[in-house]
Amino acid sequence: MKKAGIIVLCLTLILGFQSMALAKTLKIGTLSPLTGPYAQDGTDILQGVKTAVAVYGALKGYDKVEVVPGDSACDGGKATMAANKLINSGVNVIIGAYCSSATEPAQIPIMDAGIVQITPASTNERLTAKGYKYFFRMPPRDDVQAWSTVQFLEKKLKAKTIALIDDKQTYTAGLTANIEKFAKEKNIVKVIAHEYITPGDSDFTAVLTKLKRINPDVIYMSVYQPEGSKMIQQARKLDMSSTFLSEDAVFHPKFLEVAGKNAEGVYLTFAKAPETPERDEFVQTYMKMWNAKAVGSYAYYAYDAGMMALAAIEKASTADADKLQQTIRDNTWTGVSGDISFDEHGDRKIAHIVWLVKDNKFVPFWDPITGKDL
Amino acid sequence: MDLSSFLLQQIINAVFLGSIYSLIALGYTMVYGIIELINFAHGELFTAGAFIGVIVLTALQQMGFVETHFVLTMIIVFVMSMSYVAVLGVAVEHVAYKPLRTSSRLSALLSALGMSIFLSNGMMLSQGVSDRAYPQVFGIEGIEFMGARITNGQIFIIILAVALMVGLQLFVHRTRLGKAMRATAQNKTMARILGIDIDQTIRITFMIGPALGAAAGVMVGLHYGAVRFDMGFIFMIKAFAAAILGGIGSIPGAMLGGLIIGTIEVMWAAFLPSAWKDVTTFTVLIMVLYFKPSGLLGEGTTEVRV
Repeated sequence: MKKAGIIVLCLTLILGFQSMALAKTLKIGTLSPLTGPYAQDGTDILQGVKTAVAVYGALKGYDKVEVVPGDSACDGGKATMAANKLINSGVNVIIGAYCSSATEPAQIPIMDAGIVQITPASTNERLTAKGYKYFFRMPPRDDVQAWSTVQFLEKKLKAKTIALIDDKQTYTAGLTANIEKFAKEKNIVKVIAHEYITPGDSDFTAVLTKLKRINPDVIYMSVYQPEGSKMIQQARKLDMSSTFLSEDAVFHPKFLEVAGKNAEGVYLTFAKAPETPERDEFVQTYMKMWNAKAVGSYAYYAYDAGMMALAAIEKASTADADKLQQTIRDNTWTGVSGDISFDEHGDRKIAHIVWLVKDNKFVPFWDPITGKDL
Repeated sequence: MDLSSFLLQQIINAVFLGSIYSLIALGYTMVYGIIELINFAHGELFTAGAFIGVIVLTALQQMGFVETHFVLTMIIVFVMSMSYVAVLGVAVEHVAYKPLRTSSRLSALLSALGMSIFLSNGMMLSQGVSDRAYPQVFGIEGIEFMGARITNGQIFIIILAVALMVGLQLFVHRTRLGKAMRATAQNKTMARILGIDIDQTIRITFMIGPALGAAAGVMVGLHYGAVRFDMGFIFMIKAFAAAILGGIGSIPGAMLGGLIIGTIEVMWAAFLPSAWKDVTTFTVLIMVLYFKPSGLLGEGTTEVRV
């Protein structure tokens, strides 16, 4: 018994020393839905971060940069578990999550542990309203998105009536609540119906037929891409005459692929895409690296989050969260989704434009800030 | 859109959705009728059918076969998908259920759950985690009458679903094998004494049930335009509810149950707040089971069968 104990002790010590002797590694954790209905976006995010690590190359002060993936499954409970696992594995930075409903609870242990978190996708405004100093957000907020949408309805489409559809999740319901609020302010556009669907469902004909009967000028789909792709097909099959408008979670190449011809004429809000050589280069690298036909919309933000985190760590010459967050805040970074700078809440200074699906492509259509066509 | 055409449109929506639930529910009810086991892997077999459909259909479309031989394409897609899943169904039975046939029901149930997870993960690894687009071979063309609209694809799917169900009824009631199936369901020991090959009968049940599920999978893909490895889950829950509502073990019960579940879902969303749609479906299920525990067309005492 005693001998065995000594052997075990020796082995543990050897293992301990080995990890000490190992190279100095920077760990970037990701949180995104790798399983479940939104696994496409989750995979995009993970691949975006991995691309950033590969493109960035050697990081000063570290021998190796490692990406530790976490599966948030678009579920609060699973995301929190995954976040705790990342914290325990000693990650220096966390990039994620995707669904606002997963990011919100996962935020708590991450902020408590004092780790810098950058979300490449969650847009619910509550996330940055809690005064967390380690939390940053890449895409524009939902109240900004709702404002842009209402501007578009009032000034460009000159719509009188709108019907909203959402699937009751944090992100989708938050967005429709904001639209309702902004529409009421000026009372030019009237919300005449608000319908709900279940995430994961395939058949939305009952709700769509109901809306066909009221015939609003515009129908707003506040859903995620898998449901959006199916919904628009069923709307076309029902021969509905309303204009369809949607948001940044449906803005994905998969929407064009699945809905095909039926997606023509749909308007979507998403941040402006800068036409820079860096962006083209990233698209090429990404497609080659992952053998992908198209780059998912959130892969850009994830890549930027990864690149920015690495650059900030190099600039601050430390991964210490306090210094790192200060460095991120104090500087303006360039990225493939445009210039990156943050306000005091950790929100990025960025706004939406309206895109139109034309010839199976997303085309910039209208700018809500200037009120001009693009 | 006036009320009558609105109502007609919602009825079309309900019948369409209901007939897909019915087809899937048949798989549960047939297997339960024969070996008193809930085949939890059925949802995955349904998904596998949808995947074979998209693979074959995409290949045929790339060859330009769809435009020239449309009917033949549909026959090939459905036959290939259904026969693949029939073989898969028999394999599942052989690996996961047959060795446990004499053991307790709980172990067979766990084996079924394990099989479901195994198949689901297998499809995730081989087919990827994201949506796969189905070629839109039917388009949005359709016919309009009385203000309601039905697409050519929907007409085709409803006709095929009804044909499959009628075919199944004829098979069960008019053929020797069907008679053997009914006998096995009633009393296995007695059926064996009378010289019925029980193993073969069970194998055939595990071919037909999953094959019908596969057909439903292809239909879902054709109409809704996308398939994903975990799409079986939500359909499984609804179809399972349909099978229980109609009386599990009863074939006409499953058909009726599917239509009822589809109708409740659609009509509730049509006239009442759509946020409560799923709550209602399952409330109705609980109510029916409270007043008639064996389901609408169930036989009552399934427990005494030895």
